[in-house]
Amino acid sequence: MDTAIVRVQRFHPETDRRPRLERYSVPLTSDTTVLDALHWIKTEVDGSLTFRRSCRHAICGSCAMNVNGRNVLVCKTSLAREVGKGRPVTIRPLPYLPVIKDLVVDRSSFWEQYLRVKPWLVPPEQAPAKEFRMLPEEVAALQNAETCILCGACYSACQVVGLTKEYIGPHALLKAFLRVLDPRDTLPGERLAEVSGHDGAFRCHTIFNCIEACPKGLNPTQAIETLRLLAQKRERFEAERRDRLSQWAKAGSAP
Amino acid sequence: MYRSSGFISFFLRRLTGVALVLYLGAHLWVIGSATQGPAVFDARLAAVQSPFFKLAEIALLGAVWYHAFDGVRLLLVNWFRVTSYRASLLYTALVMTVLLTVMGGLPILLFLLEG
Repeated sequence: MDTAIVRVQRFHPETDRRPRLERYSVPLTSDTTVLDALHWIKTEVDGSLTFRRSCRHAICGSCAMNVNGRNVLVCKTSLAREVGKGRPVTIRPLPYLPVIKDLVVDRSSFWEQYLRVKPWLVPPEQAPAKEFRMLPEEVAALQNAETCILCGACYSACQVVGLTKEYIGPHALLKAFLRVLDPRDTLPGERLAEVSGHDGAFRCHTIFNCIEACPKGLNPTQAIETLRLLAQKRERFEAERRDRLSQWAKAGSAP
Repeated sequence: MYRSSGFISFFLRRLTGVALVLYLGAHLWVIGSATQGPAVFDARLAAVQSPFFKLAEIALLGAVWYHAFDGVRLLLVNWFRVTSYRASLLYTALVMTVLLTVMGGLPILLFLLEG
């Protein structure tokens, strides 16, 4: 059976002063994922290797790590493809976040910033009799932002996050974008006020790392650009939203 | 450090930005001396005629062009939905920078070599 050389960053907070790279030789088949390699090391070589994983279907967002310099979900990353790049496969924890142990990082700032934008939908008190029926163009405008799995790949690829943890971050701004553009939401003005502060959308340096890192192919940069434009015409946008909500209130369903 | 083409553009943007601010200070130092009489002005102007400053002028030209084209690139991203062309936009900015720096830098270099 073929083998691949994998280098894994190890760090034990109680015994290590700084992280180090350990080399492992792991079995390689065409369908081995990087997560499979980590599982093999943990099972066969060193049970103390610590990493997060859960669903193995690229939907829980637990296993985001940095492989050969790129933030990826290791459960959907082919080991053979990484080996094919002609260098040892190097697995590190997500950058710019404090390492707790080995490949596990502290995501506190990620969640704190996420909660800051009130990521939940705030619908009108009086719901339509049947349902909120959105127009196809309203759904298209959301750019699939609802499919974000909150893996943290974009957040920890962002150089602005590396500079300051006060920045809201691409993940939370993408969620804010989703809620602001959702025609059912009643707080677009409040949300735009929050994201247009000095640590919000205008702090983005348009580096595009969030797009490169997103394992779901989402576009946080475009979402941030949209928030910037909407923040500049906040009152008009709020008025348009009130009109849209009143259409539902009058009709009891889609106009 | 998360390395990417976006990081290169970000790094160059900051580097050229700082360089331009430093240049502005030096520029004001020289031009501002005009109020102190011809002798002071000539002396300061002579101080920046050395080969080092001529080469620095070429670097300044590159910094100005890159910063300008990078700004245009960001404006395009701000106003239009062109994030999918991010790499092409960066490479265009870099190529334009190199071309115009060479075009503007050659006469400076020839002037320097001719003494």
